[in-house]
Amino acid sequence: MTTQFEYVPGEHEAEKASNSYLMSLIAVIAGLPLPIINLIATLIFYLGNRNGTYFVRWHCTQALLSQFSLLFMNSFGFWWTVSIVFGDETVSNPYIAYMMTVFLFNVVEFIATIYTAIATRKGQHVSWWLYGDLTNLICKP
Amino acid sequence: MNRIIIQAVAIIAIFFGLYWGLSQIDWMTLFEVKKMTDTTEEKLGDLFWELYSKENTEINGRNAKAPLDSLLEKICKANYIDRKSIQLHIVKNDQINAFALPNGHLVVNSALIIDSENESELCGVLGHEVAHIQLSHVMKKLVKEIGLSVLISMTAGGGGETVKEAVKMLSSSAYDRTLEKEADLKSVEYLTAANINPEPFADFLYRMGDGEASSIKYLSWMSTHPDSKERAAYIVESIDKEKKDYKPVLAKSTWEKLKKYLEEE
Repeated sequence: MTTQFEYVPGEHEAEKASNSYLMSLIAVIAGLPLPIINLIATLIFYLGNRNGTYFVRWHCTQALLSQFSLLFMNSFGFWWTVSIVFGDETVSNPYIAYMMTVFLFNVVEFIATIYTAIATRKGQHVSWWLYGDLTNLICKP
Repeated sequence: MNRIIIQAVAIIAIFFGLYWGLSQIDWMTLFEVKKMTDTTEEKLGDLFWELYSKENTEINGRNAKAPLDSLLEKICKANYIDRKSIQLHIVKNDQINAFALPNGHLVVNSALIIDSENESELCGVLGHEVAHIQLSHVMKKLVKEIGLSVLISMTAGGGGETVKEAVKMLSSSAYDRTLEKEADLKSVEYLTAANINPEPFADFLYRMGDGEASSIKYLSWMSTHPDSKERAAYIVESIDKEKKDYKPVLAKSTWEKLKKYLEEE
């Protein structure tokens, strides 16, 4: 959802905010299948921009929060896969169903991240469903 | 704040709803996962056995095959195991060893039969290997040690050296401790159901672990199955002490004839 931000962000701010989303995208490509990598990448970027302007901080927080919730889903899937490959678990219907669910959530998140990265680069403010409100709670001007 | 909680609950509900919905579909059949695994196992089993039988002589004499078949048949029948799913091979080899290959190939070395003091001891070992087959330990070990992709490429005719390594691994290294224990206890279960006394199986392990057999030159099955005494102990513990109605499967003369035949081979 694109909304009006409190102020019109400058060119430099828009670039940094957009980068926070790009960070998680690049990490997805580099860090697969380890789900923790994108979180770490976003977290580092978040920490680096802790003292940035409100617009930048806001978007870094939203990117971080979205990665955080994916971490739980992906970690569970990751360890389930590990226990199948190296342990006694076998591929089962629940496993396939879980991996598909996780995959769908990741795809939605991926598309939303690309869309947001492009929009914020143009200086538009994109507030996600749930995550936007959560970010408003955490991130104050 | 309320809105956040409602939205969070909604997302969690969507996640689990989707998961529940998707798990109602039988993906295993849809993707033919089972069929694919079965074909891979079948091909691997034949491939491994072909390689092993090239380097070892199989004993096909009736005097050896028939008694072992009777023992195996008895174990399988009492435990509702399809006898046809197990392919028994007796191999001329002076290592005391028995092992399972994929697709139900059960290989027993002649030295193991010669060294067994009675049929129950041999049945214990047979039961142990049948358990490895029935509990899919063989494929689990292969996937764990070699990886599924390599295994599948083997069935397509790739990796000559890897095939050799795999056969060597299956014939001369143990499964991990939990799988070994599982197979031991299952063997006791099999034997009890077949009215075969499981105690000699423990004796066999104890004897091997005791060093009594250390004079024997080749002790593969023992060296690859560590802590024999510990195993003997938990086997004895798991035996149903009340049960007494054990019956011999083979006539004493048949057993003696089998051993004599193998010694002469």
